Amino acid sequence: MKFKKPLLYVAALVASFLIASALTTVSKPNNYSESYPAVVCPPTLKGLTSQISISSRKVQYQRLENRSSKTLPFNALRFPVSKDSLVITAQGTTPLIWQSRAGSWAGGTLCSGPSSAAWFVGGTANVTTRGRLILVNSGLSDAIVDIQSYTENAKQPIKSVNLKSKSFMQLSIDTLAPGDKALAVQVVPRSGRVNAFMIDEQGAGLKALGGDFVNSYPSAAKEVVIPAIPNPLPKKGEKASSSHTLRILTPGDVNTTFTLEVLSADGSFVPVGLNSQSIDAGVVSEFSFKPKISASAFAVRIKSPEPIVASISSSVTLSGRKDFVWSTATPPLTPMSIAVTGLSPLIVFAGDSISVKVQTKLINGKTVSAVVKGSDIATWRVPENARSITIISTSKGVFAGALIASSNGYGFIPIQNGSALTRVEVPNSNIRVLNP
Amino acid sequence: MAITDRHLVTAIVVTHDGETWLPAVVAALASQTRPADEIIAVDTSSNDSSTKLIKAARIPLIAADRDCGFGDAVALAVAKIPKHIEGNSEWIWLIHDDCAPTPTALEKLLEAIDDRPQVAMVGPKLLGWHDRTHILEAGISIAGNGARWTGLETDEYDQGQHDGIHDVLSVSTAGALIRRDIFEELGGFDSNLSLFRDDIDFGWRARVAGHGVIATTAAVAHHAQASASERRSVDVNGAFLHRPLLLDRRNAAYVLLANSSWWMIPWLSIQLLASAMVRSIGYLLAKLPGYAADELLAVGTLIIKPAEIVKARKFRKTKRLVSSRVISSYIPPRWSQIRLSAARVAEVIRAKVIPVTESSSVSVLNSLEEEDLLVPTQRFQMSKFLKNPAIFGFLLLAIITLVQSRNRFGALNGGALVASPSGARDLWGIYFESWHQVGMGSSHASPAWIAVVALASTLFLGKTPLLITTFFLFAPLLIMWSGHSFLRKLSNNQFITIPASFLYALSPVVLASVNSGRLATLVALIIAPQIPMILSNWKQVEANSWRRIYGLCILLAVLTSFTLFTTFVSLGVIGFAIFSDYDEKLEKPIFLARLYKRLTLLIFPFLLVAPYSFEALIRPARFLAEPGLNLAGGSTALVLSGNPGGAGSLPWWTVSPILLLLIIALFSSSHAHSFAQIGMTFLCAAVLFSSISITVHGNSSGTRTWVGTLLVGATLASVAAGVVILDRLRTVLISSNIHYRHILASLLLIITAIYSVSSIGWSLTAGADSPVQSNMKRVIPAFLTAEADTKTLVLREVGSANSKSIQYYISRGEDISLGEPDVAPGQVREIEIAAQQLIDGSGISSSQVFSAYGIKYVFVKNPFSRNVIRTIDGLGGFARTSATSAGVVWRVTGVTGRIIFTAKDGTRSVLEAGEVGARTMVYGPGTITLTETFDRSWQVLQNGYRLDRAKDEQSLPQFQVKEAGEISLIHDGTIRRAWLSLQLIAWTLAIILAAPAGRRKREISEKELA
Repeated sequence: MKFKKPLLYVAALVASFLIASALTTVSKPNNYSESYPAVVCPPTLKGLTSQISISSRKVQYQRLENRSSKTLPFNALRFPVSKDSLVITAQGTTPLIWQSRAGSWAGGTLCSGPSSAAWFVGGTANVTTRGRLILVNSGLSDAIVDIQSYTENAKQPIKSVNLKSKSFMQLSIDTLAPGDKALAVQVVPRSGRVNAFMIDEQGAGLKALGGDFVNSYPSAAKEVVIPAIPNPLPKKGEKASSSHTLRILTPGDVNTTFTLEVLSADGSFVPVGLNSQSIDAGVVSEFSFKPKISASAFAVRIKSPEPIVASISSSVTLSGRKDFVWSTATPPLTPMSIAVTGLSPLIVFAGDSISVKVQTKLINGKTVSAVVKGSDIATWRVPENARSITIISTSKGVFAGALIASSNGYGFIPIQNGSALTRVEVPNSNIRVLNP
Repeated sequence: MAITDRHLVTAIVVTHDGETWLPAVVAALASQTRPADEIIAVDTSSNDSSTKLIKAARIPLIAADRDCGFGDAVALAVAKIPKHIEGNSEWIWLIHDDCAPTPTALEKLLEAIDDRPQVAMVGPKLLGWHDRTHILEAGISIAGNGARWTGLETDEYDQGQHDGIHDVLSVSTAGALIRRDIFEELGGFDSNLSLFRDDIDFGWRARVAGHGVIATTAAVAHHAQASASERRSVDVNGAFLHRPLLLDRRNAAYVLLANSSWWMIPWLSIQLLASAMVRSIGYLLAKLPGYAADELLAVGTLIIKPAEIVKARKFRKTKRLVSSRVISSYIPPRWSQIRLSAARVAEVIRAKVIPVTESSSVSVLNSLEEEDLLVPTQRFQMSKFLKNPAIFGFLLLAIITLVQSRNRFGALNGGALVASPSGARDLWGIYFESWHQVGMGSSHASPAWIAVVALASTLFLGKTPLLITTFFLFAPLLIMWSGHSFLRKLSNNQFITIPASFLYALSPVVLASVNSGRLATLVALIIAPQIPMILSNWKQVEANSWRRIYGLCILLAVLTSFTLFTTFVSLGVIGFAIFSDYDEKLEKPIFLARLYKRLTLLIFPFLLVAPYSFEALIRPARFLAEPGLNLAGGSTALVLSGNPGGAGSLPWWTVSPILLLLIIALFSSSHAHSFAQIGMTFLCAAVLFSSISITVHGNSSGTRTWVGTLLVGATLASVAAGVVILDRLRTVLISSNIHYRHILASLLLIITAIYSVSSIGWSLTAGADSPVQSNMKRVIPAFLTAEADTKTLVLREVGSANSKSIQYYISRGEDISLGEPDVAPGQVREIEIAAQQLIDGSGISSSQVFSAYGIKYVFVKNPFSRNVIRTIDGLGGFARTSATSAGVVWRVTGVTGRIIFTAKDGTRSVLEAGEVGARTMVYGPGTITLTETFDRSWQVLQNGYRLDRAKDEQSLPQFQVKEAGEISLIHDGTIRRAWLSLQLIAWTLAIILAAPAGRRKREISEKELA
């Protein structure tokens, strides 16, 4: 055959290509090391009591000031903390800490991993404040933290503080901007493994005016959703006792406008005066509103052309005592797990179309699943004997927060991962790094 | 004719086996316009008919012994001349039996001395015997290295340019006229100089005795130089082994040492010895070991007899009237010697490069006679100049290359190419040293390409960055030149070969290699076209001379030094050829002849790059590696199109016509199908190898093999096949009706045109921003380089925006430079784990591990994940020392350094360390830990004894010190030095075997002499 040899060569080339394609050791994908960083719970300040909800008795912890690297199991599902901050290897289920001052206030926050930045929109620096900004360095090296405060008057100078390894520091928030009322604080760790927490506690003389944790949000955004704002319904014949104040800041250099939309069981609407409302850059603004809603909780969605941070303070009355709750923005809901032992929070989901599958692990070890569906807002009460809840799946654009009521007061907890799965690439040795 | 002058001339003819020339000599003597007054012949027992010829001419003959020297023979004749007569000026005219004076020679000689009474010796202009226009001498001298100095160029044509009467140091005895009284007064010729250099010696002695020596070119003699050109044997007494060269060199040294001022003797001795050695190396290279031995023996025979020199100097002292300094003006200055030598070398090179073509025998003047002188002469026309395809092609490529290289004017790095050290000295350092301070240190053999680059840097005054920049700038032009020199063997049509070589120089593999800094592939692209030219007859390889085989071995060795892929290719090609030879059932002698030459081509280049090549047998990935960083090549699909891929390569949409051309050529009826088969084989190999990932050159992650070297073969074969097809396609297409050939040709031309436009367009735009650029940025901040040889763990995010990965390596305080990746060690498992834990935040003990390995700093190069930076901050054992725009630096806490001393009580201290070795004190017993990779050549000496060496927990070398005292740390490089010596011997041997062989003078035929 005339073309036998040429065809053989072509066939050899095709065979080579097929063999090579089959043999190609696909450029070995980068190896990753996955882990949940240890989370840090805030210390228990003087006069307060704390309880940490844990999902398993085997979860290990370490006291912050313990220099040893040894950890201990909790051996309990709810752990009282007397003083120290705890470092917990929670392995994916975020512990929750509930703090209270007897007869004054109660509030909760998530024990969380170190963050690169945290916005606290809440607190006041005037004479009524007894608030504290708590900085925890859980690392083995010293840390440097920059604190940038904003008030209704101006952007404050940056305050840098040094934290020794494995220690915490509490700053009175009135030192950040003495005399100013509306505070927004950004905490930026320059080095070190740092967590920040804020407690807003107020009182006039001996009279306690309530208090709460101000939960943090990592960064400013053009759209923020505050998913759970308490709206205690007045009993028959009583006046509506709940009022809400929006605190908002655009930390950039450009003035902006915002529109606040209330998402409630009664529908979504923009309250009067909160449509295209203008705010000045770098100055904290506050707006009060009293939406007439028949439900005990609602959510708000705030949109702005410029990145903003915002939170809502809601005044509540509990057993005749005044208290307030700081509801803060949360990131979109993702599959995650939170320990809730001893608490029975009301979870509020907000979003255009809500479809969330939740699994509850009970104290007896059994699991119960539920699917929460709705539009704009949906609520779900966690069973009383639950030890943890797990978001199995969720539709897009859903935000969630939890409202907890106790004998000492109301509290808000963002439903988010306190300790996100960290996927760190395993480094390779390559001399190429020494070539520009 | 009546003799009217007052001179009495006796011609003395000395004969020794001179029958070839003697008839002409006798005739010349007889035909002198001023005949000699007397002629005496001295025969030194000739074995031929010389005696008969002399007798037949009725010349009185004196018989002498066969070993009688020239001087002694002359002395015999002079003794026979009647005693001196007052009032007459008596002269002896020395005539060699191979020297024929022209009829007016004696007359002109006498004319020259008529009004020069101080002259004791006068000589004629000597012209060649065979080529009578070739001027041999017009006075002679001696150089400081003993060379006979005539001041003439090789084969200089006599046009009267040296005519006149010259005051000289001496003249040749052939045709020399010497005053008899002075000859006798000076004691005649030195009997120690039986032959050769007796003339210079006599002239020198005459000069210092206050006499003059002149050469008059009006007198002419033709000299056959029979003894010097080994036309006859040298039988004189003292001619050791009867070797003319040995006698000449020995006598030259004797003349210099016996006559020069005493204070010059040490310097002269050094010069003589050095020049003898240099010349002997030259003779060895020319494969003339006999002559090489002559050079050395000549000096040796003189040194062993110093008494001769002493005696000769004493004798000369008695006759000396003026200082020896009068001679200095006749000794050629060193510059003249160098200039003349350079001119000779340049002439040899010119003759090789631009051989002189046979000129037309038609006179230019004659041709002009036919032309109208009013027609204006043709002038240089730019348009015609540019219409020359070669000039246009090279010019276009030069412009494209210049524009494409706009970011490459300066010291280059990027891609696989790392920054060059400032000088060749550093490269030689990497090549010669037995221990490399890279990463944790390695004793890997340095590849031979480092020596090649260092050697080439010498041409650039040792400036390696300039060499690399120039190389990358001119590489496409060199590739085009090399490609064209091969392609023009396939077609005489420059309109085909120039575009083809232009496309070869702009092929995907060239562009990718230049853009990603692939030195080896570029060298392969230049060398590859030369291989088929050197070894044109591969099938019948036995027809090629061994010299040619060794020449190709050297070329392949240079290529192999850059990439061991060459060995793979050689193995495949040669293995296939041997199999074919076996299959053909050849006769055993032919089969063996082929086998030996083929195996030489396979094995010798491999040996020449040893020990690097031998180490590759243990680390096979080196066979697939290129110099520099180990960067990934392209995907299999890309390779199939002839594009090696990787950083800086052409994008996929610039599909090159290589594959299409090879497939079309496969079906061609011309011999293009042979090229296509070769190209397809290379392409198959490239596709297969592109699927392999290798871990080499300090890169621990598997990286897809770069197959540029294999694609060089495919590309060249494809271009060659295209040239062969196109060379005859036009005729075929014109002479045939439209059929598939027309369609294929159109398709091919369209694809080629599209490729040309798109690849040039890409090169000039995006291609200019490819990885290789002139970039003076640094990785390691300056303050970390302040501490000499401090280990710093450098972490960086490397890769494109889509696929970044965290990588690390240990720096010794500097960025890497050329050659270092090739000797870089792999990663240490413990350090790898510690680095991983450092990043994921679990590395509580990372600092301890780093400290144990002598790592003092951790440097995270920006941009880098802030989370990881915070994680490191959070870990214990790292103290942040700086955070700048360059990155963040932590100091590893704990005592660490290159040499750590642990005392008996566990106290650790850092000892002073040098670059590799060190000399320092220890103040008590303990353990010395060297934080370098363990190697048997590490030794610590104390009081002249080696300390016990062991591996510690980290597999680092550890030495037990039993007492206080000074210690010396060394890395014993004996084995490396031995390998280098063997390599030097092997390369010298290869060069000698490949160099053109010189011929002994006796082997030069009379015809050639003519």
